Amino acid sequence: MRRPRRRSRALAAGVVAAAMVGLAGCGAGPTGPPTLNWYINPDDGGQAEIAARCTAASGGAYQIEVSTLPNDAAEQRQQLVRRLAANDSSIDIMSIDPPYIPEFAEAGFLAPIPEDVARRSTAGVVNSAIEGSTWRGRLVTVPFWANTQLFWYRKSMIAGSGLDPTRPVTWDQLVAAAQRKGSQLAAQGDRGESLTVWLNALIESGGGKIVTNPSPDDPKAVGLGLDSPAARKSAEIMKAVSGVAGPGFSTADEEVNANAYQDGSAMFTVLWPSSLWGKVKSAVEEGSAPASLLADTGWGEYPRTDAARPSAPPYGGINLGVGRFSPNPDLAYRATECITSPANQAYYFVANGNPAVKESVYSDPEVLKEFPMAPVIRQSLDQAAPRPQTAYYAEISESLQRNYHPTAAIDPSTVGPATAALIRAVLAKEKLL
Amino acid sequence: MSTREKVLWVVAGIVIVVYALLPVGWIVSLSLKSSSDIANGQFLPTEVSWENYSQILVGDAAELFLPALRNSFGIVLIATFISCVLSMFCAYAIARLDFRGKKLILSSALAVAIFPVISIVTPLFNLWRQIGLYDTWPGLIIPYLSLTLPISIWTLSAFFREIPWEMEQAAQVDGATTWQAFRKVIVPLAAPGVFTTAIIAFFIAWNDFAYGISLTSTGAARPVPAALGLFSGASQFESPNGPIAAAAVIVTIPVVVLVLLFQRRIVAGLTNGAVKG
Amino acid sequence: MSTTTTRTEETTEPVRPSGGTSDRARAEQRLGWLLAGPAFVVMLLVTAYPILQAAYYSLFDYRLTDPDKRSFVGLNNYLVILTDSVWWTSFGVTVFITVVTVAVELVLGFALALVMIKALKAIRPVLRAVILIPYAVITVVAAFAWQYAFSLDSGFVNSWFDWLPGVSADTDWFGGTFSSLFVICLAEIWKTTPFISLLLLAGLAQVPEVLQEAAKVDGASWWQRMSRVTIPNMKAAIMVAVLFRTLDAFRVFDSVFVMTAGANSTETVSFLAYRQTISRLEIGLGSAVSVMLFVSVVLICVLFIKGFKVDLSAQRGEN
Repeated sequence: MRRPRRRSRALAAGVVAAAMVGLAGCGAGPTGPPTLNWYINPDDGGQAEIAARCTAASGGAYQIEVSTLPNDAAEQRQQLVRRLAANDSSIDIMSIDPPYIPEFAEAGFLAPIPEDVARRSTAGVVNSAIEGSTWRGRLVTVPFWANTQLFWYRKSMIAGSGLDPTRPVTWDQLVAAAQRKGSQLAAQGDRGESLTVWLNALIESGGGKIVTNPSPDDPKAVGLGLDSPAARKSAEIMKAVSGVAGPGFSTADEEVNANAYQDGSAMFTVLWPSSLWGKVKSAVEEGSAPASLLADTGWGEYPRTDAARPSAPPYGGINLGVGRFSPNPDLAYRATECITSPANQAYYFVANGNPAVKESVYSDPEVLKEFPMAPVIRQSLDQAAPRPQTAYYAEISESLQRNYHPTAAIDPSTVGPATAALIRAVLAKEKLL
Repeated sequence: MSTREKVLWVVAGIVIVVYALLPVGWIVSLSLKSSSDIANGQFLPTEVSWENYSQILVGDAAELFLPALRNSFGIVLIATFISCVLSMFCAYAIARLDFRGKKLILSSALAVAIFPVISIVTPLFNLWRQIGLYDTWPGLIIPYLSLTLPISIWTLSAFFREIPWEMEQAAQVDGATTWQAFRKVIVPLAAPGVFTTAIIAFFIAWNDFAYGISLTSTGAARPVPAALGLFSGASQFESPNGPIAAAAVIVTIPVVVLVLLFQRRIVAGLTNGAVKG
Repeated sequence: MSTTTTRTEETTEPVRPSGGTSDRARAEQRLGWLLAGPAFVVMLLVTAYPILQAAYYSLFDYRLTDPDKRSFVGLNNYLVILTDSVWWTSFGVTVFITVVTVAVELVLGFALALVMIKALKAIRPVLRAVILIPYAVITVVAAFAWQYAFSLDSGFVNSWFDWLPGVSADTDWFGGTFSSLFVICLAEIWKTTPFISLLLLAGLAQVPEVLQEAAKVDGASWWQRMSRVTIPNMKAAIMVAVLFRTLDAFRVFDSVFVMTAGANSTETVSFLAYRQTISRLEIGLGSAVSVMLFVSVVLICVLFIKGFKVDLSAQRGEN
């Protein structure tokens, strides 16, 4: 994870007057291969390792340096957008959370993908990831890895709760089971992107949509499905879950959920594979959790909103964008092809728990050994639904969080229409956020 | 003072010490908890662990923390230095010379001191990205001057007023120019005041958060408070509480050392600058 | 300070060479600006210029990711803000935090100052050193310390204070508006009370001892001496301390950012401005909020100076 410090910058910055010259000074020395800067979201070291592997594999054509962005997806977007708005040429490759891709594309922050790269990087890739990389019918980013949430349960604890985990479960059943056993259902109730993820999955699973027409040209004409029956049912579920989700639900994020699952205060949860299985595995290795926890952990498809309809689990992950102002876009795209090679995707899956986008990786024996639930993940990715695809995603997501948080205080009959009105006003710039 | 009264004051003193040190002690204690111990619900760690420190100093989080620490020291020291030099000249003129506009300068310093930082962050961000100062050291040093200059000017003018100026006059009578008199006679007399001002300016710049998060975006210039605010832990599996606590302790060490070494001066400087001015 | 008038007279009168010619005066004028000018210009450049720029941007509909669609909208942004309950909620929260923290800090700071002035000589340096520590600790660090102390997963407050009614092992302090604000105020108070108490200490030290003694001889009680002699004599010190802290508290940002990020209606005006510009990337709307924040601060200042007759230039020994 270490990277050479940019001495040229540090030195230049020492003198106030040298500031403007200093900016030009970063990059490779006079002799080395061109440096590609890759802005990554924090992970368990996997992207840095892949960067090193690709640097080695390039045979001196380029070298990749990673810079880590903040943890929060919204913060990552802010950092990148602010740099790109400053025409920053030091951004060659960036790891982008899919819902923000339309905004990047619309603002012209992404270098166009060469035809052949587009063809190769979408071959044999799960559907949701291609959808998440596309804007206005064109591929704008390279799919890297795709995330989805599963339903996880403690086999020993759900016994006697009336739940049959071999069949798809519904949210209503989970709430009832938690009440019956006096245990918790761990979910993401804090005010953040994860709340939007949850709400979107609930509504999509119920057959609804938050944004019914992406309407890129006129934000004011956005179509919203927040007063649909599916949206209303989703609000009811959120409110009901907050009754069985433990005392700190309004500030509970993935981390808190995984802890609650691990210490037994929650008997089931909905989480990303890395946040649950990956964490449980490393806790067992460290000795801070009993080895039996692994065998006691069961998994299944994301809970249904509507018992009769297969669920639409959350779609997340990371796609790679190449910065518009990069001096070496072609080289950067070559590097993305190396980064997303099946071997690297398999490595990333196994080492960091981040599922691949290439279908072939799911039959890799190493992957199946470390993540026995890989087939369920793949199945979920096929069913997964992306969050609203619009250049104004950040505003929509923040508006949703404003009205749906704290979930315990939701009024299911009014929250949908009220939020739709808020989103319209915000997009028309008639309201603050 | 009766014995009973004495005891009472000592007790009050102890209460103050506890008040001031409890949160600091807590963050130190938290930084010594291992990740499995963080949630023990107790003030003290069950077992002292250096895991958090090794993580931010040599481990996975080092590449986030160490550049930030370097940025903080570099940027704050440079800003402190510049503001000391500028305010030294300014305060000298205010304390010593009679010229029109003195009042204007002092009121501007006051106005700048009450300025809401957030109000100027947006235009500065926009300007910085246009002229290439965004996410650079000078991009923070310049706005830090707006934080440190006003209080430096006040504090220093207050100190300078108490300098025995007859000595300067004497030097001038001996044929020295105003500049020579200033340099040879006044500078040595003023040094303690300048030093105190530097410490206070350092505290203020060291404390900045709003500029730090708004005008930087990478390890190239992001100072420690901003890095702490956006810190995520070394990996997605680990709670960041422990490493943040450890980083917090490390950035608190310099200010605590300064306080312990120079408490008398700092108190004099603070009360001089703000009250007596 | 009024209490300084006796001291300033002897020190601030510029020592002017007798029989200075107008040449000399002009040279002094020039030298004055030569020395003071750079600091003055830098201060103006980094504050006045940006705020004017903000005032200009605030008249536009201007989104960072869409600069081509920038359009002039006049005062519309201000209209949006003033008719939005979000602004008024943030304003209310900010005023709440300001009033609560300043009031508590004033009382607490006064008590601290009294202890420091009466404390035995032996422990005085110790007190002075420890009291400076909260002042010197970074606000963000203080905010984290208090947040972690109260948080459900890593805190100790719930287990220490579970005997209090309303506090149990499961109390989620950051789950509600008032409990969140309580912790935010606590962190602010802890961090800034020392500053106020030092200012008050300086004022306290300058209350003439003779007056105290005279009142004592007249048989005044401790409380009477305090309210009739001490406090009136340090009114100026109190007002300056309150003014500075009020302006400071009104700009509260760091603690809110760290502890709640504005969740549960704990957003302050500074945070609102930050969010419009930096998160939402609406430069126009964000600039308008910034200007409103600036105007609020100026209004508070004017209110104090005109309403409470805090004469700052007199405090500063300028005549």
